[in-house]
Amino acid sequence: MLRILNVAFVAITATLCVGLYRVAEEARVTQEELRTTLAAVAQENDDLVVLGAEWARLTQPARIQALASRHLKLADDPSLQLSSVTSLPSRSMPVVPDNAIRAAKAVQPAPMQQAHIGYPGT
Amino acid sequence: MAAPQPAVVVKRRIIVAALASAVAFSVIGARLVEVMVLNGTGRPAAVAALPGKPTRGDLVDRNGVLIARDLPVSDLYASPSVFADPAEAAARLAEATGASKARLQKAFVPKKGYVLVQRALTPDERDHVMSLGLPGLNFEKGLKRYYPSGRAVAHAVGQVDADAHGVSGLELGLDKSVRGSHEPTQLSFDMRVQYALQREIADTARKFHAIAAAGLVMNVHTGEVLALTSLPDYEPNLRTLGEGDSIRNRITQDVYELGSIFKVFAFTEALEEGTVRLDEMIDIGKPLRIGRFSIGDYDDHGHSITAAMVFADSSNIGTAQIGLRSGAEKQKAFLEKLGLLTPIKTEVPEIAAPLYPRRWSITETATVSFGHGISVNPLAFAAAAASVVNGGTKVTPTFLKNATVQHGERVISEETSIAMRQLMRLVVTDGTGSKAEVPGYEIGGKTGTAEKPTKHGYSRKLQITSFVGAFPSSDPQFLVFAMFDEPKGNKESFGFATAGWTAAPAVGRVIARIAPLLGVPRNEHFQEVSTIAADVP
Repeated sequence: MLRILNVAFVAITATLCVGLYRVAEEARVTQEELRTTLAAVAQENDDLVVLGAEWARLTQPARIQALASRHLKLADDPSLQLSSVTSLPSRSMPVVPDNAIRAAKAVQPAPMQQAHIGYPGT
Repeated sequence: MAAPQPAVVVKRRIIVAALASAVAFSVIGARLVEVMVLNGTGRPAAVAALPGKPTRGDLVDRNGVLIARDLPVSDLYASPSVFADPAEAAARLAEATGASKARLQKAFVPKKGYVLVQRALTPDERDHVMSLGLPGLNFEKGLKRYYPSGRAVAHAVGQVDADAHGVSGLELGLDKSVRGSHEPTQLSFDMRVQYALQREIADTARKFHAIAAAGLVMNVHTGEVLALTSLPDYEPNLRTLGEGDSIRNRITQDVYELGSIFKVFAFTEALEEGTVRLDEMIDIGKPLRIGRFSIGDYDDHGHSITAAMVFADSSNIGTAQIGLRSGAEKQKAFLEKLGLLTPIKTEVPEIAAPLYPRRWSITETATVSFGHGISVNPLAFAAAAASVVNGGTKVTPTFLKNATVQHGERVISEETSIAMRQLMRLVVTDGTGSKAEVPGYEIGGKTGTAEKPTKHGYSRKLQITSFVGAFPSSDPQFLVFAMFDEPKGNKESFGFATAGWTAAPAVGRVIARIAPLLGVPRNEHFQEVSTIAADVP
């Protein structure tokens, strides 16, 4: 009986040793992978931080304005094209006939009226 | 007593060994359960604290646009003893990093230890240095505060020192909350509005050859500063100031006599106290003599005009008379209530204290009513003006995004506030601020041309011109302020450089640009609703 028990204990101990070694080795490899991954995450984070700042620099209104002035043929009047929902005619208002719309000429609104020439004082 | 049998001894020892093993395995098992089950977060602790995290949180504008951020940088050190050709290595490193070639060649002595080549290399520069393939290089990781918008909000945002402590502006004012924070701090700025303001102020300053200029956009209900510009400015990403640059924030650090825009408060006080009726006739035909002083007008407005037109035409004689009706005590108390006699408290720490007369006599009462003899900073002025037009509740300026309406102390009645808005609209429709008018935006405002004090008294040539505008004037949401220091008249302005020719049109152009961005659309069909008549016989 004792012999059987001894053999069983030795077998269990040997199995545990092998298992423990495997677990230790797996832990070491995982640790290494984690370290590599953490370094990669840190690098990606650094890259994101830098790219975020770069994006902010490149999308500055002053830079976009300069590029738009150089490459686009757009009028520099941001308020000209904008309106509000409240400015739209309501359903109860008479509808403009379709032919009138088609016949309409696209006329740019008159420029801002110059105030009278005089001394504005203080 | 007989000795135990050997078999019994062995059995006993085996039992003891088995018990010891069982205890040992139980301890190991219990520890495994503790580590894997009880304390298991599913995530190694190391991941929670990633290396290289910024030591200061980002600063962003109200729409999340980045204003300031810590960037990873590297300090480069070299060991000259391992270089085959130190002179060539110095030349290549100087080219890659921008360091001084002469300094490196002098420092690269073979027996010398590590030499600092360059501080704060960007990741690109670091990669470039790595690609040189030189031995004996060492990179030390660090962080550098970077401001992507450069000069745009340099004065308000401020700077940090080499140890990442705030030393000026909001970096100093918000230092405690920003340092160590991983969350961005949302400022009140709107970088689109900031650009529009900065561009118009800079263009106008250039056109009139002003030596300095400043501008401000404020929400009159929340006190949020949406934009602030002060020229000359500086590049915050450089450690040195360029020629003509200045770190002086003229909106918060400068106090000066604002001139006629201060008449807003004289009229507000008079209306609040009921000492003036806007249709009453005021005699402005002759200069007002107080003791040895004589108060005159810049322009001849005729013999007598209505009180409303005294404001619209900016008559010093008329305003002084109205101011004198309240008297020194009441005037001082009223300005104190508006917060104009104490340094304003806000997140920007560089706030100049106001200067006002110690002895507030009849002469001072008259001059203060039209903005001379009292010096305040433009931020304090803007906050007080916002309190006048927003319905009458006190506004405290803030540089943090704060969407809630301030329910500050009531400083004037709703009726007085409405009357002041109508008066300010009259300045633009019929008075000195006509060039601020932009069809569809219903702007109200006030001009101010203050003579600068010199050794020989006030100079008629050296002026500070200002304009404060609020829109839409029937229910103001935003206030725009512009100031130009010593503008010179040009051909386009027929030689004039008063506020009506310089600051007023600049504010008009700013409003035309920012109003759609701020959700105030152009309304060309609005009806002028005013109980004030421009001309009363």
